[in-house]
Amino acid sequence: MAADAKLSHTAALILQAISAGFVYGFSIMEMTGLPSGTVYPAMRRLERDDLIRSQWEKQSIADAEQRPPRKYYRLTAAGKTTLEASRKRYPLLERLISTEEAKSL
Amino acid sequence: MKPSSDRALCALQNGLVRTASFLVPAGQRSDWRREWHAELWHVRHSFCEGGALSWPAQREITTFCLGSLQDAVCLRRESRPSREPAPRISGAAAQCILRLSTLLAVCVVIARLLPGVQAERDPSRYQVSPGVILIQTSSSNDRFAPAISARMFRDWKATRQRYFDQFAFYRTVRETASLPSRRAGWSVSHASLNLFSLLGLPVSFAALTAEDLPALILSHESWRRDFAADPDVAGRIIRVGNRTARIAGVMPYGSWRLPEEPNAWLLEPDSQLATGMSEGGLGYLIAHLSQRGQAAMQGECVSITVRAADPEGPEFYGVSFGNRLQGPRGIFEFAIILALLALPAVTSVTLGESNYSSHRPSRKRTLIRWAFLAAKFLLVAAIGYFASLDLAYWNASTYSPLAEFAQLTWCFSICLFGFRWALSDQRQRCPVCLRRVTHPARVGLASRTFLGWNGTEMMCMGGHTLLHVPSLPTSWFNGQRWLYLDNSWDFLFADSGAW
Repeated sequence: MAADAKLSHTAALILQAISAGFVYGFSIMEMTGLPSGTVYPAMRRLERDDLIRSQWEKQSIADAEQRPPRKYYRLTAAGKTTLEASRKRYPLLERLISTEEAKSL
Repeated sequence: MKPSSDRALCALQNGLVRTASFLVPAGQRSDWRREWHAELWHVRHSFCEGGALSWPAQREITTFCLGSLQDAVCLRRESRPSREPAPRISGAAAQCILRLSTLLAVCVVIARLLPGVQAERDPSRYQVSPGVILIQTSSSNDRFAPAISARMFRDWKATRQRYFDQFAFYRTVRETASLPSRRAGWSVSHASLNLFSLLGLPVSFAALTAEDLPALILSHESWRRDFAADPDVAGRIIRVGNRTARIAGVMPYGSWRLPEEPNAWLLEPDSQLATGMSEGGLGYLIAHLSQRGQAAMQGECVSITVRAADPEGPEFYGVSFGNRLQGPRGIFEFAIILALLALPAVTSVTLGESNYSSHRPSRKRTLIRWAFLAAKFLLVAAIGYFASLDLAYWNASTYSPLAEFAQLTWCFSICLFGFRWALSDQRQRCPVCLRRVTHPARVGLASRTFLGWNGTEMMCMGGHTLLHVPSLPTSWFNGQRWLYLDNSWDFLFADSGAW
């Protein structure tokens, strides 16, 4: 996908959330207020377009915390460029989900 | 919440995710299921801080699980082989064809229920033998008026003929029939014995003895009305006028198409044919053409030269029954031709396909569009055929010139306005997806016609085209134009596939 491709507001919001450190589906849902039926399909498309990449958490870490392992998402280089373009298009994006907010969690 | 209901809801939520997983392509299913179960565990864990889950929490979790269905559907769609985003030949076109087909089915069902239509649609019931014509005189303006006397029939039959090898005669008079329960005024055709065999009509006779009474053939209508459709009516003796006759059979429904509509046919030997009637009374002379006569036929008429004593006498000609026996199909074909000829008078026959952008639909799309138009025309024509028969024979139980005229009029009207609708409908359908364009918007000012165009602009909801229809055709904008939209418009339309 071209870096200057125009994302919908929802897709840009999800990218911003991942960029801010909300790296798995349920946390993105909680942060953006979007339902699961919107968040997960949007993440599939973002991954299809190489804007994000998923990775399973190590089993040992999950076992240590007595929970199932989660699938984490992170931005690719193309995703970062696209997010930059989207921030210009949607100036309120950074205010909605700031990186500091994620760090404070 | 009780632990039992908690467990039941938990099973339901797991079941939802599991069911949704079957929509996911097999190669990705296990990974997808693993992710959703992990997420579900965390969702439950986040709500389950104090032990048991509350109803609102369970509702939230169930809503979360319902999202798995959307996700699975999305993955399934994504996994399909990528192809050009095919504009859906959507519902609108299919619905249009479906509605026309339903209307056609209704017309066909009604036609099957109407006996008049059934009789009309079976040519074997009323077709006469080839080469059979009606002899007429030029003194009568009406081709199918009685014109020949019984004496003339006998004279013609007695002399050697070049053009004809058989003759039959009938003459219809009003007589009183003594029926089992009452007396009724009937139209009775006194006919020569060979009338039905010459015509080749499917009338079966009961066997009569040699010294028997004259045979009487009942019309189907009289049989039903006056004899209550009695199946054992053959052989009964009734008095018709001053003759006693034995009922020999019933004319099949809708078979008689010749002039006059008698209640019965009294078959008599030629010598007795005019007995009791005035010799000068006129009737119909039916003749069968010899090979030479058939060669002399010009169109539907043949001129006949008679060596008569009176040189001032009328001229004779033979006229075929072609028009009377052509059946509904011939009328339908004629009506279709008339409607097609009249079509340019009621609407523009162009489809307004001209465009002023570089894009044109693919050849496949163009083919589908033409096929859709052809399907509409065929369905309209079929509806015209059956609906006109239904309307013409709704009250008419059998053939009549009035019913034939009604069929022609209805068929012509339905086809003409149906074709007009098909064309105007086609003009307002997007050339790409065949949806009707919607959301009309007025553009421009009528007072500035000479400075810029004004008219109506409509759009395809699939985002493929805009249609510009000028309100006042000008030399530079005299017809509607399509503007094809490129992909940059996609985000405006729900069907465009953009996200």
